[in-house]
Amino acid sequence: MILLEDVHFAYDGLYTALRGVSLQIDECERIAIVGSNGAGKTTLVKHLNGLLRPDQGRVILDGVDTKHFSVAELAREIGLVMQNPDHQLFLDSVEREVLFSLENLGYSKEESKARCNRTLNNLGLEGLSERSPFTLSGGERKRVALASVLATEPRILSLDEPTIGQDARQKENLAKMLGELNEKGKAVIVVTHDIEFVIENFPRTIAMANGRIIADGPTNSVLSNDDVLERCSLTRPQLTETARCLHKVFPEVTERLTLIDDLEAVVVKVLGGG
Amino acid sequence: MSIVLALVSLLFLSIIPLLIIFCCLVPIIGAAKSLRRWSRSMKGLSVLLIFIIIFNTLLSTQPNPFSHSIALTLRLVALMTSFSIFFLTVHPDELSQSLIQMRVRFEFAFAMSMAMRYVPTLGQEAYAIMDAQKARGVELDKGNLLKRIRNIVPIIVPLIIVSIRRALSIAESMESRGFGASAHRTYMTVLKFRKRDWAVVIISFLVLVLVVYVRLFMSLPTWMLWELPI
Repeated sequence: MILLEDVHFAYDGLYTALRGVSLQIDECERIAIVGSNGAGKTTLVKHLNGLLRPDQGRVILDGVDTKHFSVAELAREIGLVMQNPDHQLFLDSVEREVLFSLENLGYSKEESKARCNRTLNNLGLEGLSERSPFTLSGGERKRVALASVLATEPRILSLDEPTIGQDARQKENLAKMLGELNEKGKAVIVVTHDIEFVIENFPRTIAMANGRIIADGPTNSVLSNDDVLERCSLTRPQLTETARCLHKVFPEVTERLTLIDDLEAVVVKVLGGG
Repeated sequence: MSIVLALVSLLFLSIIPLLIIFCCLVPIIGAAKSLRRWSRSMKGLSVLLIFIIIFNTLLSTQPNPFSHSIALTLRLVALMTSFSIFFLTVHPDELSQSLIQMRVRFEFAFAMSMAMRYVPTLGQEAYAIMDAQKARGVELDKGNLLKRIRNIVPIIVPLIIVSIRRALSIAESMESRGFGASAHRTYMTVLKFRKRDWAVVIISFLVLVLVVYVRLFMSLPTWMLWELPI
């Protein structure tokens, strides 16, 4: 659906952020982008909706180079939620804030209203719809910013660090909502350092370091590669650690497991259950 | 020194003397190793300068409007250059340090240096906000004038909010790091007025006196008043 071909980018032509990134994102995919600070993750997602244009290389959406479209046109297809919610909130109620995005994209009144209510409910914001976004807590503002883009239900949704400042329950709600969108055929991309969130919700992981993609594949194999983890400044996921410990005692357990169900199944088998 | 140079450029309004001043300014900027940054800001201003030339030429009542407007522009460039010498070479921290040593209260000096270093941050913030709004489908560079003016709202409101929030959090973090805890602060660096600093001050003052004298009590030789033939 969207294709990046050998994308290079440098801020002000001086500070190189991407050095030849190629990747393909299909419908229904759930992708996590991990990497240490300054690896180029945010720069990469800003290329998806045209906020940044490649110095070299191409970004192709449905076979058409995105340089022919404005950001607003691309926003219909590709949603992006930035890290800092304060950068997008400016209206005096949560509801109007969400409606604003929908109106920009030209949805009818009833449709907008329905989408808005649905999104607010899903994100646990229904009681706050009349409140001013500026009086909300940091975590709540983050969710309002999310809601304002989620409501437009873009075909590709990219979120930059959506889990910052959210408690475990809100993370679950978010994961559930992303899952539902995904089932409707939308692709979901997150940039995050929250490795447990990635393991539980994202089958594909792209690891970046120094402006390049160093690994792209199934999450459990990418995140059990020590070299990748090291270069992304990530610690080993607890499940991998557990698998390693078990491997020492029971050689049948492979070291590369990262999913809790797989681990459970193997442990049950080793212990002779079934 | 830059004040002296600025004053000098204000005293004249003919092409040749202003050109001479300009020629004195450029090596000073070169010596301060900021020629590149200076030329970049001048490039940015060139549109404005061209406007000044055109409008003054068309609207001026002077006998030789084109010469006059060129002189005006040159004077503006010279003025700005002399101030950029100051701002390109003096770090805001040094400025506030010197104010403190001139017995200005620390809080005021600090507020000033904060304000100065806040400008670029605000600019970056504005760009980030524009990105965030564009991603929501706001068409910033389309539509008629009225629509464009309305489009400023989604930029300016977050900018103000973010600035206020930032100011509050900076204040809190400064207080928690002990700002204002004791009446007497100590400083890592103390600026000293050395001999050559005095020399610069004295030389600039002498130049100023000389130029003022020349301007007020002597008539300029005719080649200095040369104007462009039209």
